[in-house]
Amino acid sequence: MSTEFSNETLKKDSSNSGLQIVKESEEDRLMTLSVGPQHPGSGHFRFTVKVDGDYIVHCDPDPGYVHRGEEKMCEYRNFIQNIPHLERPVIHDSNNITYSYSLAVEELTNIQVPRRGQFIRAIASELNRQVYTLYWLAIYGIFLGHSTMFMWPTGDRELFIDLLEMLTGARVTHAFNIPGGVRNDMPVGFSEKCLRNISYFEKRLVEYENIFYNNPLMRQRTEGVGLLTKEDAIKLGVTGSVLRASNTPYDIRKAEPYDVYNEIDFKVQYMKSSDCFARAYVPLLDMRESCYIMRQLLDKIPQSGEVRAKLQPNPKGPAGEAYRRVESGRGALGYYIISDGTPKPYRVKISVGSFRNMLALPHLLVGAKLADMPSIYWALNYWPVEADR
Amino acid sequence: MASRGSRIVEFRFGNFVASLIWLILIVLIIVSLAALPLIFIVLFYAPLPPINGQVLTPYLFLSMMVDPTRTLPVLKFIMHTELFRVAVFPGFSFAAIFAAVTIFVERKFLAKMQLRVGPLYAGKIEGILQLIADGLKLISKEIIIPSGADKPIFWAAPIAFVAASAAVISLIPVAPGWVVSNTDVGLLAAFAILGFFPLIALLFSWASNSKYPFIGGLRALHQMIAFEIPFILSALSVVILSGSLNLTHIAAAQSPYWYIFFLPISAFVFFISSLAELERIPFDLPEAESEIVAGWLTETSGMIYGLLQLGTYIKLYALAALFVTLFLGGWAGPQIFPQVLGPPGPQSPLIQLLTLRPIYNPIIVNDVFWFSIKTFGIIMLMLLPRGINPRIRIDILLHTGWYKLIVLSFINMFIALALVYGGVFGPGGVLTPH
Amino acid sequence: MTSAGGFIKAIESGSKHLVIKRFTLRYPEKKLKFVGDGYQFDPKRGVGIAGYRGRHILFHDKCTGCQLCAIACEGIAEAIGMVKVDEKWKHNKKSIMPQIDFGKCVFCGLCVDACPFYALYMTDDYELSAFTKEHLIYTPAQLAVKPKYDGSVELKIDDRGATHG
Repeated sequence: MSTEFSNETLKKDSSNSGLQIVKESEEDRLMTLSVGPQHPGSGHFRFTVKVDGDYIVHCDPDPGYVHRGEEKMCEYRNFIQNIPHLERPVIHDSNNITYSYSLAVEELTNIQVPRRGQFIRAIASELNRQVYTLYWLAIYGIFLGHSTMFMWPTGDRELFIDLLEMLTGARVTHAFNIPGGVRNDMPVGFSEKCLRNISYFEKRLVEYENIFYNNPLMRQRTEGVGLLTKEDAIKLGVTGSVLRASNTPYDIRKAEPYDVYNEIDFKVQYMKSSDCFARAYVPLLDMRESCYIMRQLLDKIPQSGEVRAKLQPNPKGPAGEAYRRVESGRGALGYYIISDGTPKPYRVKISVGSFRNMLALPHLLVGAKLADMPSIYWALNYWPVEADR
Repeated sequence: MASRGSRIVEFRFGNFVASLIWLILIVLIIVSLAALPLIFIVLFYAPLPPINGQVLTPYLFLSMMVDPTRTLPVLKFIMHTELFRVAVFPGFSFAAIFAAVTIFVERKFLAKMQLRVGPLYAGKIEGILQLIADGLKLISKEIIIPSGADKPIFWAAPIAFVAASAAVISLIPVAPGWVVSNTDVGLLAAFAILGFFPLIALLFSWASNSKYPFIGGLRALHQMIAFEIPFILSALSVVILSGSLNLTHIAAAQSPYWYIFFLPISAFVFFISSLAELERIPFDLPEAESEIVAGWLTETSGMIYGLLQLGTYIKLYALAALFVTLFLGGWAGPQIFPQVLGPPGPQSPLIQLLTLRPIYNPIIVNDVFWFSIKTFGIIMLMLLPRGINPRIRIDILLHTGWYKLIVLSFINMFIALALVYGGVFGPGGVLTPH
Repeated sequence: MTSAGGFIKAIESGSKHLVIKRFTLRYPEKKLKFVGDGYQFDPKRGVGIAGYRGRHILFHDKCTGCQLCAIACEGIAEAIGMVKVDEKWKHNKKSIMPQIDFGKCVFCGLCVDACPFYALYMTDDYELSAFTKEHLIYTPAQLAVKPKYDGSVELKIDDRGATHG
């Protein structure tokens, strides 16, 4: 962009009152801004941008502020004791991050989860997906300056948090999925309440479209901004709704179905335009699809049955390794667990969608305007706590 | 584990009576030791009107306390002095009350639109004393000035901001005859004063010596300058139709039909430009929280922040009142107040006193009422975009201000000229009032 | 002109919300109602019973002092310690019972899952704030007290919107 631009400026030299040509170095013109952790626009994450006027020429992400050693802590606790601390990296999507772990441990220890348990796990996962996506939508709204779009999704999250509290016993810190199934059965009256809340929520989605997605001011800020082509997206390895917004219909629930997802009929939602608007709109389409999935799950669930495989308190399996992944709110969330025959895992590696999506941040920000920085950064669905684990 | 409502003090009648007696005692002490000497000093130096042919001496004034029929003429005299006009009625206190009510109503209105409750706990009824609580909090905070900041400008800029906002108010006519300064170039003076605000924003952001206010101040400068031109051009159409720059004449010229019916585009352009001048959402780039912390207000704290907020809301009232004067007919409205409060005809002095006969002027009260209603309606309309729109980006903002709005106001000027030359308005026109 | 249509729809949507009921739950005047009695675990069937995971309740007539709850919590939050109690029970030869430090407890309920004697359940009570950290450590006698929690508000949905109470 600026290679043909000449770095020479005319400067008046006061000593002999003539015009002199002075070369300005590249570094003098750039201003370094640290969008750091003490900034209301960045979350627990820091990235430095070098700005030339209004255009960003260099971006350097700096994660690691919330690193708590989750993977190391797993080696000192047995498989069931790992659940409460493993759900903390992304606490408001806790049913997905423990889902993947449970699947991997079940593969290692050869546990078979009963069918009703699988259905309840899928219902809890879909409910959590709604909760997380609404939270992300609220943050996206407030960082575009739309305070109403912060309040409405945060209020509507309450519909699903109420349901999850009825099901699991806690509003946010569920600790519900364990290797072998789920910890308790659905209480009486859960299905009716769930269906009632979902019907009300589908009407609310229409309001969100009216006030936010069809608002010309929001479209002007996000359409055509931050283009990520399909080839670049696949090359950078982004995942989740960011990938689906770049014309790639890839969803792990369809590509590698786990539990009961091969019996559910749903379409993978994707968009062709590959800009920030697509990245903001795909989660809304995902939420609609998720409501549809939940209705099918509530319809097909077997009326009675066990929800949890009978286990000894310290399950252990033969030495081996397992890798399973799950589609969470941010993308593919995978666990690679190596066990050496003892009740405690030997090594746990968590592969999160946020860390992969972060790689797209320098690629998208270079060449963009500084005023577009919030819409690009927050559209990448990046949750810093999960990326740092 | 004391919760909020667990300490209930029981009511004892003896304690209540005792506290009342204490209150009366303290009031008496203050009145006799402080208020009475003050009144005497003021009365010796202030010019007093003659009442019933007698000069009002201080002793006669004090007899007002037992003979209330003498109070009302003095009140009427005070109401027509300059000081009352500047400080109380169409001037600062009126605007400050409007600003205070606006701040509270804005918070509750936005909260209702966002399905939540606004301020709730200050004051018994749904948080009505929240503003007083906020004011007390701001007064008690420490004012932190960044090192390297330019101290004289840092202190002077907020005061200049409030002063400039109050200066715009002094030009607005609330009722015929009730305006602080009735100049023949009122509209031009209003725009001249509005031109100060970018300068104050820039000076304050530069004096803050910090990166984020610097960016915010530049954005404020760009925004306010870009929108001043459509602002002036849209008001120009009104001047073409009414033929005068005097705000009282403009408001009086709209008595049969308001100008908004003839110049709707101009009203729209004026409205959008005033939203941009006030830095309200969707034009609040200079204070964008997500990108530049708080823009050019970042380094303010305590009463400096309080003064800036007061100035902003007074400016909101001023621009809304200007809109009402230019396009909505100022004070025009059907007469709904009766000729006399209470039973008509000659009455006993007591009834005359209680129904405020010497100072009640039904026309003026009616005009003030309609003006207030219309201004409040326009203020509510200005509060509405805050709940609906996100923030606009700087290049779209400048594009809108410099291209679209100027084009629209030129179109409207042609409409105004066509109306004048078509004989509808202007001298000898069909709809011109005499 | 589609942008004008977009604006008008946004204004209409925003103004429609002025007549929808507010969503806020006015805590502490009104509190949420929970379904059921609190989280419980049935060791015979090996599965839990759904309920809110609040403060624990310890049944002194069932607890045998087997320490399984403390062992389960050692890997999670280390919030349970066994202390000697003055009561003499036939089934509790060592006379020890769990004491829970709610400053460390994460309310996961895995201790309830670990108890094989139906002695430790969780209740609806979540209002546990105290002024000092020592007050947060609940002795076995304090844990035996049944909590008084009377929430009565539920989320209601009707055609004028969803509201709490």
